[in-house]
Amino acid sequence: MTARVVAMAARRTGGALLAACVILAVLPAVLELSSYTHNQLTLLFITISGALAWNWMGGFVGQVSFGHAAMFGVGGFVAGRLMLSLHLPPPVCWVGGAAAASIFALGGHPLLRLRGPYFSIATIGVGEASRVIFTYWERFTGGSSGLSLPIDADLKYRLYWWALVLAGCMAAASVAIRRSSFGLKLLAIKADADAAADVGISATFYQDLIFVLSAAVIGLSSGLYASYQSYIEPADMFGFERSIAFVLMAVIGGVGTALGPVLGAVVFVLVRLYLLSSRPDLYLGLYGGLLILIILFEPLGLTGLYRRGQRWVRRASGQAPGGAP
Amino acid sequence: MTLLATRGLTKRFGGLCALDGVDLELGEREILGVIGPNGAGKTTLFSLIAGSIRPTSGEIVLDGQRVTGRPAHLCVRAGIVRTHQIVRPFGNLTVFENVLVAAMHLRRTAASHARDRAAEVLDFVGLADRRGQYPATLTLAGRKRLELARALSTGPRVLLLDEVVAGINPTEALAFTALIRRVRDERGISVIMTEHVMPAVMSLSDRIFVLDRGKPIAQGTPQEVVANPLVVTAYLGTSAGEGAAP
Repeated sequence: MTARVVAMAARRTGGALLAACVILAVLPAVLELSSYTHNQLTLLFITISGALAWNWMGGFVGQVSFGHAAMFGVGGFVAGRLMLSLHLPPPVCWVGGAAAASIFALGGHPLLRLRGPYFSIATIGVGEASRVIFTYWERFTGGSSGLSLPIDADLKYRLYWWALVLAGCMAAASVAIRRSSFGLKLLAIKADADAAADVGISATFYQDLIFVLSAAVIGLSSGLYASYQSYIEPADMFGFERSIAFVLMAVIGGVGTALGPVLGAVVFVLVRLYLLSSRPDLYLGLYGGLLILIILFEPLGLTGLYRRGQRWVRRASGQAPGGAP
Repeated sequence: MTLLATRGLTKRFGGLCALDGVDLELGEREILGVIGPNGAGKTTLFSLIAGSIRPTSGEIVLDGQRVTGRPAHLCVRAGIVRTHQIVRPFGNLTVFENVLVAAMHLRRTAASHARDRAAEVLDFVGLADRRGQYPATLTLAGRKRLELARALSTGPRVLLLDEVVAGINPTEALAFTALIRRVRDERGISVIMTEHVMPAVMSLSDRIFVLDRGKPIAQGTPQEVVANPLVVTAYLGTSAGEGAAP
């Protein structure tokens, strides 16, 4: 019986996801969006993919990375370099960036022996080291003045759909992983890596795998971002603020939940847009305050609030309360 | 017929020799009790056999195959599984999912097969009606049953039980003793157990293996072992008037 309920919920989520993607796909044609809105939505889709990819690592397997900007930077600059030096078509460059980010993540294998705060601190180190190294590697990244990529207005317009497809696939993949046996193993590793090994789950293998997958998506989204900006510089691509943004979006939306980071990314992007234009002085302070409130009162973020609301409604309507925490 | 054997198994932590040249044999469908005072090396022995840590020297052989130094998850695939003295359930998974995830380590295992096995094992340990609950809602005895279920779900040939009876009330302990006997009788699994609760280990074990300060000092049937003066000395010490043990 439970299996059928789960399958029904899966079909419902899948249907909702598909509907949302279809609506967003036809939106520009139906509403004749201003180019500002069109561009902001493109950026939002790219951001959502990144937040979901971070959550695979930080949420599903519980390894909180403060260095995902390093993978973002590597993916973006490799994609940019491929465009500039080899004049390959953009999608090929994006895939190249994704591959480079994955290989970079494989190099991070020794870090995965660390767990909890030790892993987090090490990722800060790797992130900052990469930023410095790539800033000084002028022949590759153009140094602090960055790279200007060939501008293609038509591609920038079409990026909306590329980014939407990526975000949609990422959302579907997140739900699928969360419900699969693979996802169950990741959760077991998150709870206790040694106990997981004692029931036959190789913590090392699955952590490496999810790390590489997460990096690939980060790299891919970074390639799209590079094409969108048509100008990239190490300080932005590798910036610590970018690493923090991944963490914030997942925490706001609900760490470890399948789709929470989508919500988190939407709120994050909206709040940032508003604050940067009206109160830039409050920008980081507000995120800091938000983070404290969420961790203190609702560790599952917006998803947690939503579930709490659901339970409250169910209780108010007189049904038996649900048991799962 | 020997299923599992260790030869000269030794583990040093820096200058401390936690285990020194242990030769141990476990037969098919045998229950072997490992006893010894605190710090004798019982848990170290388990950690070595289960692959949680690597031995300094010596060998572990399962059914003619060397498994020395294999990481824990490969030991599980070979058929050796352990439970922990302090239970370690996956707190973010339900009771059923805890057991299910342990049934999935075989790559070719179909999902439905793993579910069937998990359900069967939960029924076997008497937790079938708790499958949707989270481990935190179980009593300690319940969590110990869960720990056992998770281990059984991996389909082991050798089960290492680290103080499963300790810390639960006498009624539960009695039920648990019966359960361990059924693990051997109905599922054909060989068991090595350490235990401080003597009635449990004495009534269950076919043979007892005694460790003291990392060294094996005696082995034999429960009756032989309790009568052995070396064992008595290890547990109780000697009085001031007596000399060292013979």
